[in-house]
Amino acid sequence: MSLSLYVDGDRWRAHLDHVRDTRPAIVPVVKGNGYGFGIPRLAGEAARLGLDTVAVGMYEEVGPARGSFPGDVMVLTPWRPFDRAALFAPHVIHTVGRLEDLEALAARTDGPRVVLERMTSMRRHGFSASGLREAGELLAGTPGSPRPERVGVEGVALHLPISSGSHLTEVERLMTDVVAADLPTRRIFVSHLTDAETALLRQRYPDYEFRPRIGTDLWLGERGALRVRATVLDVHPVERGDVFGYRSRTAPKAGHILIVSGGTAHGIGLEAPTGGATLKDRAARVAKGGLDAAGFVRSPYTIGGKLRLFAEPPHMQASMLFLPHGAPVPEVGDEVEVRVRFTATSFDATVIS
Amino acid sequence: MTSPALTVRTITPDEHLALLRTQRSASFLQTPAWGQVKSEWRRESLGWFDGGRLVGAGLVLYRQLPKVKRYLAYLPEGPVIDWSSEQLGDWLTPMTAHLKRKGAFGVRIGPPVVTRRWSADAVKQGVADEGVTRLGEVPPTERSPQGARVVSQLQELGWRPQAVEGGFAAGQPQFNFQIPLRHRDGEQAGEPRTEDELLKGMNQQWRRNIKKAAKAGVEVSQGAEQDLKAFHDLYVHTAERDHFTPRPLSYFETMFRALNAEEPDRIKLFLGRHEGDLVAATILVRVGGHTWYSYGASSTEKRDVRGSNAVQWAMIQDALAAGADVYDLRGITDTLDPDDSHVGLIQFKVGTGGEAVEYAGEWDLPLRPLLYKAFSLYMARRGR
Repeated sequence: MSLSLYVDGDRWRAHLDHVRDTRPAIVPVVKGNGYGFGIPRLAGEAARLGLDTVAVGMYEEVGPARGSFPGDVMVLTPWRPFDRAALFAPHVIHTVGRLEDLEALAARTDGPRVVLERMTSMRRHGFSASGLREAGELLAGTPGSPRPERVGVEGVALHLPISSGSHLTEVERLMTDVVAADLPTRRIFVSHLTDAETALLRQRYPDYEFRPRIGTDLWLGERGALRVRATVLDVHPVERGDVFGYRSRTAPKAGHILIVSGGTAHGIGLEAPTGGATLKDRAARVAKGGLDAAGFVRSPYTIGGKLRLFAEPPHMQASMLFLPHGAPVPEVGDEVEVRVRFTATSFDATVIS
Repeated sequence: MTSPALTVRTITPDEHLALLRTQRSASFLQTPAWGQVKSEWRRESLGWFDGGRLVGAGLVLYRQLPKVKRYLAYLPEGPVIDWSSEQLGDWLTPMTAHLKRKGAFGVRIGPPVVTRRWSADAVKQGVADEGVTRLGEVPPTERSPQGARVVSQLQELGWRPQAVEGGFAAGQPQFNFQIPLRHRDGEQAGEPRTEDELLKGMNQQWRRNIKKAAKAGVEVSQGAEQDLKAFHDLYVHTAERDHFTPRPLSYFETMFRALNAEEPDRIKLFLGRHEGDLVAATILVRVGGHTWYSYGASSTEKRDVRGSNAVQWAMIQDALAAGADVYDLRGITDTLDPDDSHVGLIQFKVGTGGEAVEYAGEWDLPLRPLLYKAFSLYMARRGR
């Protein structure tokens, strides 16, 4: 009766092992909905992989990660003094992106461990070049004043945008800023660099340690090992003009109304704006809008090899599909394939073979 | 550190020189005398003033764009300003405004700031390592935060790094080889090293060759201006052998006269003779505590008497006696590929036991974007 994620365990774990073995020093990201798997399960896999650090998005996620992972937990969202959930413990690594926050952390007596984030062209969080230099000065202590050794600097974080072009020019520039800041660390955490870019960076900065933070490519990198299925809960034949649904719509032609598991509570039918901005992407969106206007919206459910139409907007825990006459009709209890965005879907069950 | 109200204006060569005399290190390419050597370009001595006090200086060479009365303002290995400033914009902005008024379409500078150093051992290991082909792939012995700070600020201020190869006369070398003449750390930090210590730092071959030259009776003496002819003959011979284009004798005569007139010990000619035959000749330049080996020539015959090692050692001894901080063997390429012909030059220099030094390189700021672009295209075409 549920929306389920089926995982080919051997294949999935072989992929995880492969990534760990071919991409040295990775820090797996286990934030949010745990890429559909849930944070505890991914943290457990990170432990199985023998890794020393995982990254979570928020302090609220430290507990769930730590429950099945004995190592360090890095929080990716920069610490703010007003973050009530902020957790101070020896295994927690904080991200810092503002001088005043670094000062506040340095004033503590429990020696927080920090990663200094350098703002990239993404312009989300982090120090500017001169801000990082000021951070370096703060950490070195001004002559005569006590050195704030209470902060343990674990590294510098560079969170690069996802782009098709090369990041190297930008990274070189950012690395110069890092060197200029004269920090008591030689470790750099990087996101969204290709393996080739990381390799080149390691070559140009052989005296630095680069640790790629990796999420999607790790957990969802082997799509063939992942299947999402929904259960068919009811099937009703309809004639043209029959009334159905919350909104009392009428059937446009003869066929079947299917009730399947999975609704807005699972993330079905909720769409984040897609990243694509090419002409093709936009054309596809316009085409979808056209279907919408006619009362036909394509659903992520596949029956008979085709993506079927929503009969009406998804309900909270189930969806109504319209199956035109002539299409194969599944039976109650059958499972049908669903295409989902893993980072935006919560499954009722995860079955790992 | 610096007040935001720095002003820039033309100064006299005397004022320029007076500022340089207060500096422990400044490139000889930034001396007023060097402007006389580069007589084909218009030149200007620039001064930075903090109120009425002269706090910085620069030699500007104006290189004209063909057919247009616009110039690339070039400050080779300069200007001489406080590069440790966190507010480099305070120094550079009034300079670029001044140069624009003087007709510059762009400015090129070469901050005399070290970004990385590699010890002789590190370079040697790099050459030996088959997986390494460039100096940058060897972990540096030191990465200078101050140098990075300059690079970082230039980027923030909109300056553009110039490629080391190609471009305007290929620019000044970004990688150099230097022998520190003072202890850098430990209890003796700042104290001069002794001749013995310098010899011990050299590899066995260098030490053996210096001894060999002395045993064979190579005599090194300092020459005067009239000896430049002898130097030049040998230099032309060297150029033929090593396939580079020699400069005319007049170039060296001008250099000798101009630099000598500026400071008595600024330029020196060293001649190594064996039984009356000139086997090696070199030119040494000094500004403050910085000494450069800038031109060299050697005979093809009598190589076994090791005249080159003898003159080098004499120059190093001279620099040490003069209380210099650095003996600079100038440019190396960054290749560590044993199959590259340039690696031999590095190996010769590495044998002195010094260190490879990377500078911040040359940086451009376009002031008139269209002309600057036209100039870049012209240079790219000329470079082919």
